[in-house]
Order: sequence, then C-alpha cells, then structure tokens
Amino acid sequence: MTASNLSTRAPRIGVSGWSGRALISAVLLVFVLFFIIPIVWLLLATSKTGRELVTLNPFLPGTFDGIVQNWNQLFAYQDGAVGTWIANSTIYTVGALVLTLIASIPAGYALALTQFRLRKAILVLTLIVMLMPSTALVLPIFLELNTVGLIGNPLSVILPMSFFPFGVYLTYIYFSTSIPQDLLAAARLDGCGEFQVFYRVALPLATPIIALVAFFSFVQNWNNFFLPFVMLPSSDGYPIQVGLTSLLASTPAFNPSSAGAESVQLPTLALATVVSVLPVLIVFLFSQRFLVSGMTAGGTKE
Amino acid sequence: MSQFTEKTQPRRRVALSLAATAATALVLITAGCSSSGSTSAGEFGFPEAKQDTSATITVWVDSDRQAVVDAFEAAHPEIKVDAVSYDGSANGSNSFRTKMQLFDRSGSGWPDVVFSTQNNDAAWASQKTNGKQAFAAQLDGGLIEKDTLSNFTEGSLDPCTVDGKVYCLRNDLAQSVMWYDKTLLDQFGYAVPTTWEEYEDLGKKVAAEHPGYIIGTAGDAWTPEVFFWGSKCQANDVTGPREVTVNTTSDECTRAATMLDTLRENGTVPNVSVFTPEFLQQYTGKVLMLQGPAWYAGAIFNNPNSLNVPAGELGVGAPLPWKGEDPVTGNVGGGTWFISSHSANLEAAKAFAEFATTADDYQVEKAPGYPAYAPAAEKWIAKQESSGYFATPLTALTEAGSQIWSGWGAGVFSQEAIWAKTITPAIASGESIEELLPKWQEAIKNQAQVDGYTVK
Amino acid sequence: MTAAIATTPELVDATARRRAPAPRTRFGGARPGMSYVFLAPYLALTLAFGVLPALYALVLAFTDGGGGFVGVDNFVKVISDFRFGPAVVHVAIYLVIWLISLVILVTVLAIVVHAIKVRWLNTTLRFVFYLPGALAGASSVLLWLFVLDPTSSPVSGLLQLLGFDSFVQVIVPANLPPIFAIIAFWTGAGGWIVIMYGALNNISSEVMEAARIDGASTFQIATQIQIPLLRKWISYMGVMSLAAGTQLFVEPQLLSQASNAIVPNDYSLNQLAYQYAFQQNDFNGSAAISLLLLVVALALSTVFVTRGGLFDTE
Repeated sequence: MTASNLSTRAPRIGVSGWSGRALISAVLLVFVLFFIIPIVWLLLATSKTGRELVTLNPFLPGTFDGIVQNWNQLFAYQDGAVGTWIANSTIYTVGALVLTLIASIPAGYALALTQFRLRKAILVLTLIVMLMPSTALVLPIFLELNTVGLIGNPLSVILPMSFFPFGVYLTYIYFSTSIPQDLLAAARLDGCGEFQVFYRVALPLATPIIALVAFFSFVQNWNNFFLPFVMLPSSDGYPIQVGLTSLLASTPAFNPSSAGAESVQLPTLALATVVSVLPVLIVFLFSQRFLVSGMTAGGTKE
Repeated sequence: MSQFTEKTQPRRRVALSLAATAATALVLITAGCSSSGSTSAGEFGFPEAKQDTSATITVWVDSDRQAVVDAFEAAHPEIKVDAVSYDGSANGSNSFRTKMQLFDRSGSGWPDVVFSTQNNDAAWASQKTNGKQAFAAQLDGGLIEKDTLSNFTEGSLDPCTVDGKVYCLRNDLAQSVMWYDKTLLDQFGYAVPTTWEEYEDLGKKVAAEHPGYIIGTAGDAWTPEVFFWGSKCQANDVTGPREVTVNTTSDECTRAATMLDTLRENGTVPNVSVFTPEFLQQYTGKVLMLQGPAWYAGAIFNNPNSLNVPAGELGVGAPLPWKGEDPVTGNVGGGTWFISSHSANLEAAKAFAEFATTADDYQVEKAPGYPAYAPAAEKWIAKQESSGYFATPLTALTEAGSQIWSGWGAGVFSQEAIWAKTITPAIASGESIEELLPKWQEAIKNQAQVDGYTVK
Repeated sequence: MTAAIATTPELVDATARRRAPAPRTRFGGARPGMSYVFLAPYLALTLAFGVLPALYALVLAFTDGGGGFVGVDNFVKVISDFRFGPAVVHVAIYLVIWLISLVILVTVLAIVVHAIKVRWLNTTLRFVFYLPGALAGASSVLLWLFVLDPTSSPVSGLLQLLGFDSFVQVIVPANLPPIFAIIAFWTGAGGWIVIMYGALNNISSEVMEAARIDGASTFQIATQIQIPLLRKWISYMGVMSLAAGTQLFVEPQLLSQASNAIVPNDYSLNQLAYQYAFQQNDFNGSAAISLLLLVVALALSTVFVTRGGLFDTE
C-alpha cells in the first residue's frame, strides 16, 4: 500500500517518478526475498552437515559430499521407508487422478452440453460442495469409511481424493464455452450415439482441460496431509507428506527424546522436505507456461 | 497347540498347552456349535488372536531404541522383526494411544510390541475402549514368568500396574540425580551441595563468581518432574483409576518454584532445553551441574552429538533433600514396553519384550539409561564404573532408584504436555514460575477432567 | 493449499466471459438418459464423500455413543470445554491477520506486477511468487520450522533483532497467529497474485488508455478503475480463504510436535475435533465440532453463491 500511496506524488504519467519507482522496486525486492529466501536456503541446507548448518553462513553451500551423505541417511531411514512413502504417495495420487478424470470429465461434459431435469440442481450442489473446505469433511468421512471397514486401506484415501467437484466445475466451464453445440448436433444427426458423441467429438477437444484438472488434482492430493493422517494409521501406508512427521519425530532438535545414534539430523530433514515436494515442483516447472501464461493468455492484451 | 514349538521350556509348554486346550474346550462348549471364531479366551487373561509362531512381529520403537532391534536380530536371527520408528509418544504427542485407537477402529494393524517413552500409557492401554479389547496384553497372567517380573527393581513396575495387574515392562528407571562436573567444581573450589538450600546458595555464588556457568536447566517439559516431584509437590497425586488430587500452591511446590525463579533470574538455571542446538552453543563446557534423570549420562554428557564431556570429569550426586527432610527424587520417563493383546505371535513378542528389558546384550551393553531390571542394573553399574568414564562411583544412582517419591502418579494425561503448553511459553515471555503455580493447577485440573478424572 | 486450487476459476472464467455459454435451445437432439450415465460416477462420489458424511456428522452430533438422541448436549459439551474458547480465539485472530494481509498485499502486488511492462521481469516475478505454492502442507511447515528457529534460520539476524533468541521465544502464544498467517501467505499468496493478474489483464486496455489520456495517475487508475473491477475476485479470495482458514490443522499440528507440545495439540478447532475423536474416543463430540465448522463453511459458500455472481450457472 505504501507503494501506491507514494506513487500519488509521482508525476501524472504514472510510476515514472524516480522516488515512486525506487519505492516500488524496494517493495518488490522485499517480497521476492520473502518468497525466495526460504527455498534457496532449503536447497543449500541439503548439502550441509548438522554442524555446518549452525556454524556456516546460511547462504554458503556445503559440499557435494554432504548431499550424498544426507541422501544416504534419508534413504537408510527405517530400511528405506522414505522410498515406500514416495511410492505410496504416487499410488494414491495417481489412483485418485485417474478416478477424478473418469468422474469429472464426463460429468462436466454432461452438465455443459446435455439437457436434463436435474441439471440446475446438480450445478448448485457442485458449487456448494466445491466451496466446502475438504478438511471439514475428513472426520465424518473417517466415521463413514470406518463403518464399512475401509480404514487403513489405500481406498480410504484414494476414493475421497477422487471426489473433486472443482474439476467438474472447470470441465463444465470449458465445455460450455469452447465446444459449439452445433458440432455435437451435427454428430448426432450423423447417427452417433450419445456416448460416441462424447468419445469421438468432445473428448479429443478436451485435452487442455484434462491436463488442467489433472494438474490441480495431482498437486492437491500430493500435498494432502489431514486425510491420510487420519485414514492410514500404519507407517507402511503413509504418503510422504505424513511420513515427514515420522522423520520430524526422529529429529532431536524437534523431539528431545529421539537423541540417539539413529536420529535424523536437520540437513537430512531439509533434504526430505525437498524430496517430498520434488514431483510437485517438477510439475510446477513444466506446467508454468500453460498455467501462468497459457491460461491467462486469453486476457492478455499487451 | 502345535504353535509352541520352542524347545527351551518344555514343562511350561505342556502346562500352557493343557491350559489352552482347556480354554479352547470351554469356548467350544459355551459357544455351542460355532468354532469359526479366530480368537479364544486365551490362557493369559485376555482373548488371544490365532497364533502363528513364524509370523513376523512388528515392533514400534523410538529412534533411540533402534539399537534394541539390532541387538535382538543378532541374538535371535530366527525371529523376523519389522521395526517401525515413531516419536515414542513423547511430550504429550500421544501418538501411541491415538494410533492404537485407529487400529481398534480398523480392526487390524496393531504392532506386536510397542516402546513408549511415557509412563502413562498403561492407564489407557489396560482398559477396554468403546467395547474394544484392551490393547495391552496382561503380563502377569502367565505370559511373563513371575521370576522375571519380581526381578524388576521394586516400584519400577508401578506405572505399568493397573488394578494390581501388570501391563508393561519397564525399560529403564529414570530417577533424577545430580550430575556434576567434578573437574570444574574442584577447580572453582565448590563443594557438592547436600540440600536444595545449599544448591540455591551455590547458584548465587556461581552467578557472582563465574557468570555463564550453569547448575541446571528449566527449559524442558520435565522440569516439574525433576524439581517439583523431587520436592513432594502434590501436582499429580493419582489416587484411583480415575481420581487425582492436585494442589500446586502448597509450600512444597512454592519452595521449588521460588528457588527456580531465583536461579533462572541469575542465569545459573537457564530456561533452555538441553536438547537444543542453542544449549550446546552456549553451555558446552559450562555445565557445572545438571539436575536430571539417569539417562542424561548417555544422552547428554557422554554423547559426541551433545555435550561430549570427556572421561574422568562427570560425577553423580545423590538426590537432594530439603533441609530437615529425607531425600526423595523425581522420575523422568523411563520407557515402557507393551505387548499387544492382538499379537498373532505372542511367543516372539514376549521374547522381544523380555530381551529388550532384561538381556545383557542390550540393557548392559548398549542401554543409555539405568536398567529397571535389577540384575541388569547391577551389571550396568559395574560396567559403567569400570569404563573409567565417571569421576565418582555410581552408588548415588542405585540409591536414587529406591527414593522415587510415590506421591506422583501415572495418569492418562501427560504432565509434560501440560507444563509445555501452559508454563514454558509463559516463562519465555517473562513470568515467574511462582506466579504461574495457580495457572498450572488450573491447567492440570482441566486436562484431567477432560480425560474423565475426578479432581480433588 | 486452497490457493493453488483457486487459481483457475478466474482464469477459466476469464475465457468464459468472453464467450457466453451456448443458449439452452441448442441442446436439441441430446437424450437426457445418457446425461445421467455420464454423471453417475461423479454423483456417486458426491453422495459418498460430500452429502453422506455431512449427514452422518449431523446424526452423530445429536446422538450419544449408544445412538440415542441427546439434543444439543454434544454442542453444549464441546462449547463449554475449556479448550473450545481459546481455539475459537486462536483461529479468529489468525483469520483476521491473514485475511487483511492477504487482501491488501495480494491486490497491491498484483497491480504493481501488472504495471511492469518489462516482459521477462513480469513473468519471473509471477513465477517467484507462485513457486512456494509447490511447498504446501507438511513440507512448508517443516521449512518454516527451520526459518523460525534462530539457531538454524537463514534470517536469524532478523529474529534476534526482533528479540527472539530461541525457538521457544519465537513460538510464544502471542506470535502464533502471525506465524501461521505468514506461512499461509507464503504458500498461498502467489496463486492469488496470478489470479488477480489475470483479472487485471481482462480490464480492457481502451479503458486504461482513456483514463491515462484523461490524466489519471497510476494510483488513480488503481483505486478508481482496477480495484473496483477486481472487487469480485477479492471477495472470492476472501471467502475461499476464510473457509479454508477455519480448518487450520496441519500447521499447528506439526508445530506442536516440533515444539514438544509448547504449541498445544488443541490449538485449532480441527485439532480439538481430532482430540475428541482419537484421544477421548468421543466421536459425537468430534462430530459436533465438525458440524459447527461445516455450518460456517456452508454459510459462507451460500452467501457467496447467492450474492457473489461469480458462479452464475447460466
């Protein structure tokens, strides 16, 4: 807000005044540092030893050997539990992703391009459940799955994760704006059945929205903590995000009673943090273009 | 009952088989026709799962107890162990209880043996919850031999005992003693204090003559157990299965609080946890004395990742009395081992729990703390003394083992968590412990009531 | 967490508004029966994980362990619990701090970034702001544990300057709401900045040019043209964040574990519900808390759906 305040004093043409520019630059710099410092530091921390982390300048890198040692310690933890957790995360996320797509793409299509009595009602219901934070339902879902005996089963996280009304909403918007009804009507006149219309005409045009729904489903489910935390009591079934708490519990700095030979040192924990977000980070980097530029491109009028 | 294949105890095996056969017969008679159930009434005082002596046992340990698993696997290669490390339920995380309740709900997945750093787990593990079988196997109903149980140091199984039945084995005793750096004390010309009053005076002297040196810490969640338990403060007087008496404003509590406040203010008992990097940075080589449990020796002093005090410097003094009273002391944890009543391989689970608590391979050779199992404790003391690490004999430790004040119980709620939540941050923002005593009492009462206790 | 999710309605909607949905009359030829087939998997999931849990919570909240109807007893019990009041206060303070800083800073940053005409700088800035969104949930809390511990922190100088020499001093109760707000802002703000940026792009450049020619300053353009047009998005962000914020769980939960319970494990309402369910074995009490949270979330979304206009379905 300071930036805007000061820029009132700037000449009328805009942010061209020297002081205004300097101030805005300063504010931007502060925020860039705020967003970037923790990440840079985290990456550097993975190359240090526990002692170096405390003694070395925070922004000096450690050694490559440090990374190797931390890596070895991390993957030796509980006979390779970290590997299991990553595999679990992958299974849950991909499983949920597939189910999400199977459920939401046809649903969004039907809501957008077909006519039926409950259409309006289902749309409203979708909006309501979409705005309901998913964590609010975790405990009730636990009770529900408990009665059908699914607790501890991978399905207990995959199924609730596949419920993704936001994906339906996105698909709905996409189909209702990007595919002309005439096209479908023409296909129907050609004698295509409803399913063929969807499969032959709509689906091939839906690649961008499938990618988008997949992206959001993946990121959200990979980072989900509360749901698996409650549903999966056994450490063998943890996804990596919940597994991190196990590592945290083995770090003496954060759990005094774990001070022992098998304990996890801080840099190893830092490495675990990096490893835990690596898949999401990669997806982020690769989809940056279509997310940040691509999706806003329609409105870019520069 | 072919599952009892181990050859070492033939007589017991026969007796067990007979008992089990009888029990099975009884079940068959009472149940009429159905014999498909997978549990039997069990010969040890709890319903047993179908046994399979070749089944892998799952063992939950904290990262410190990983050494037990390694030692056990070396000694018993025939038993397959799947070790899972968790936080040991430390500091009020209650993860042990939470997870067992989740397994109760899912109806499977219980580990066979669990190590807990806490003393308050038998209080819930021995009880049925919502009609579900109690997690802990009763141990003195025949599962563990009477001889073994009676060899534990007297009183050490108290936290494991509910309604006269034993539900866990104590890993180590965590009697609080006075650790001191003999070399430094001699160098400064100080005598080892013999009462809390002398201790306080010493603190004042150190603050004046050698600022920067410390004679204790008050930053950990077990501060109440070290200082208030040892002062007979009635903060945790568990009088019945669901009854507790709390009075933290008595003289016994106030005297400990004012002493701590004085020493905190002059910097000789800082509000720093001994496990923080901060503690190491500021106080390595400056720890004159440290009031704390037996396991401090291995976890803090003789640990290259911690203070790393060289051999020949560390001495141990008996618990301090208040002037005119007999010495009593507190206790900080001292882990406990539980066997699951759901275990499908009770024999292996029992072997593991017994090994962990009684075998020389672990308790004497590797354990950082004072073994609760008396024969192991004797050997442990002898080994520690002969190692030449300590500057004094360790008789004070043995003595302290029998001086733990019995007026501090083991309820379901964690005193450490209550202290950490209400007192630690308040001290950090400058309040005095003495002023906080009523708030502490209120917090204990509230938490106890939430857990179903009647508070007096 | 939710911010990443929230990124697109705006973005997609941007497209949506340019091409109005096809009029209803064009639906001709479709057979309604097939629509339900297409919808079946989604409806099944909605029923199982949206509607049923909510109803189940409703039943549990009004019954006791044995299933008998007890009226509002469970609500009385949880509300009079000594931990309930503090938890509400904690969450409320956190929300106030977070929402205010979110609304102000996101709007300002989006407008500032939008005003930058150097293309690479503009793109880089958005990406830098957006990047922490990848570190959501437990990972971001873990990272912030390091940052908040003066012994390891990359900004230990700053922490010491503020008078914090130890982790315990950093996490005293009074500091927690701002800490959680900072963590949430760090992970979530970038997504919203990108959303706002997209919305700003949708303001026609003719309007902006006209304003400039009329002699409006950048500040005037921001306050008189851009912010009013952003209002819908700002309120959307506010409601989404408010609904998500009431569900605070992972941050205090992990901080509690890492601080050896100095941050209590009943800090937030969701944690309290968790305590009820798994510590006290009182699922009815737990359901009562969940229901209270659900009602808040539903009320907010209803207000938004009926008043917001953003989700006009036709």
